[in-house]
Amino acid sequence: MSSRVNQLGFYQDLADLMNSHPEQYETLGEVDFTLGIVMVDDHGADLRVRLSFEELGCSEVSPLSEGTENGCDCWLKGDLPAWEEMFEDITANGLATGRRTINSLTLLGDRIATMGDDPMGVDKFFRFNQTIQQFLDGAAQLVPATA
Amino acid sequence: MALATDETVRDFPEATPMGQPLDWSWLRGTRAEWGMNPVPGRRGLTMMDIATGTYGEILDEPPYRSMAPRGADIAEDTPDMGYILNHKSQVWADNVIELYEEAVARQWSSARDIPWNELQELPSDIEHAMCQLCTVLTEIEMIATDLPAKWMWRMNHHFVEAKMFLATQIMDEARHADVFRKRALANGGGLLLAGSGDESLLRSILEAKTYTQASALLHLLGEGFILDVFRQGEMIAPTHVEKKIFRLSMQDEARHVAYGTMHIRQAISGDPDVAEEIHEALDHGEKFLIEFGTSPVLSSALAMLLGGGSEHIEDKGFPLQAQMATKIFTSYLARCERAGLNRIDRTELPLDLLGIDLSKFDKSGV
Repeated sequence: MSSRVNQLGFYQDLADLMNSHPEQYETLGEVDFTLGIVMVDDHGADLRVRLSFEELGCSEVSPLSEGTENGCDCWLKGDLPAWEEMFEDITANGLATGRRTINSLTLLGDRIATMGDDPMGVDKFFRFNQTIQQFLDGAAQLVPATA
Repeated sequence: MALATDETVRDFPEATPMGQPLDWSWLRGTRAEWGMNPVPGRRGLTMMDIATGTYGEILDEPPYRSMAPRGADIAEDTPDMGYILNHKSQVWADNVIELYEEAVARQWSSARDIPWNELQELPSDIEHAMCQLCTVLTEIEMIATDLPAKWMWRMNHHFVEAKMFLATQIMDEARHADVFRKRALANGGGLLLAGSGDESLLRSILEAKTYTQASALLHLLGEGFILDVFRQGEMIAPTHVEKKIFRLSMQDEARHVAYGTMHIRQAISGDPDVAEEIHEALDHGEKFLIEFGTSPVLSSALAMLLGGGSEHIEDKGFPLQAQMATKIFTSYLARCERAGLNRIDRTELPLDLLGIDLSKFDKSGV
């Protein structure tokens, strides 16, 4: 698992999972949100991903060039180990626990921070937070396929 | 005006068989636009889709003060409803239609969507702290139903989408009062202390002299504070059940704050003198918020939850609480900036005590 979280394909797998089970997102309602993920690697292999959420699915997973993050409503920036710990917690427990939910991590903000140029775009992170958490929690279901 | 031409030439009865007069003028044409044919998008037919032509023209000062729908051919003798909020900047926000649709699409049920049967028995101190927090939240949530209800009937119906959004806010807040009340009772506990330190803030919001002052106090100050408490709540929740409660409630609260922020911005843009009115309201409101935020009951319950139990109140609870307070008030000041209000130079909040370093202040507040 940890070896894949800094690969674009991992997020495409999460998107495919979400798109194959829209009924699981129906209660949460539709989303219109573009989220950037910036994973900083000390060895220079940063990962930047753009996730576009529309209706009940993730319509696009694409590379995000450095400096174009402001094309997203907001982006989450953190070091690779912090992201790995979050996904390891999800896979170990089936969903994020304790202070490793994406909201808690960004609230503390010391390792993963919410960033954005448009304050109303940043607000969307809170408005659609449960959907984003459920999307990330999907990592627990990817384990068998990636083991 | 396209009409069913067959009907324009027919003679229709002028009265019912009972002798009551009939008016067929609506069939022969009005000044309202006809044949708009809005196309449903992938999300269905939204209010954004039908905001076309005159139906989508939000006038700064609508000529009528009636409940007649915007875009209709309004009879000259339509009675005045006595609205007092008749200027767009007094109620509108540019994101309000989108927020209304979002609210409708993202409603949830406290009965069905919370896995109540997965609640776990908690240590007594944690259960008590959780129940105390739920008591406070149950008490304060309904202010955000009472306040819009106080003003909605005074808003010109031309701004119907703003009223529709506020109706969703009322439903959201009812659900919050409901879900926290349920949580207090659902795990073997119950409601605890109420009324200590909360009511001054609530009263100041309810008694605001203008809607825009009220919106600043409610949406920017009060709900902004609660949005951050919900963010913390999700972090301090003892189990995934409470986490989900806080996260779902947070989504709702963020919509309300998004409306309020944009409304205040619009209000100041429409009438710059309004800024001083809002400042005056917030001068008072901030004092009450500090009183509420530092109330011995709420503070002790939060410290217990943040510390993860009574053993770590002092070494973990209080330090985290201080860290969270910094976050909360930084977010508030940043929100004011977004709304076009510079509170930094005016506020009497104890910024040093709250750990806010203005030299490092990030106006994005995130």
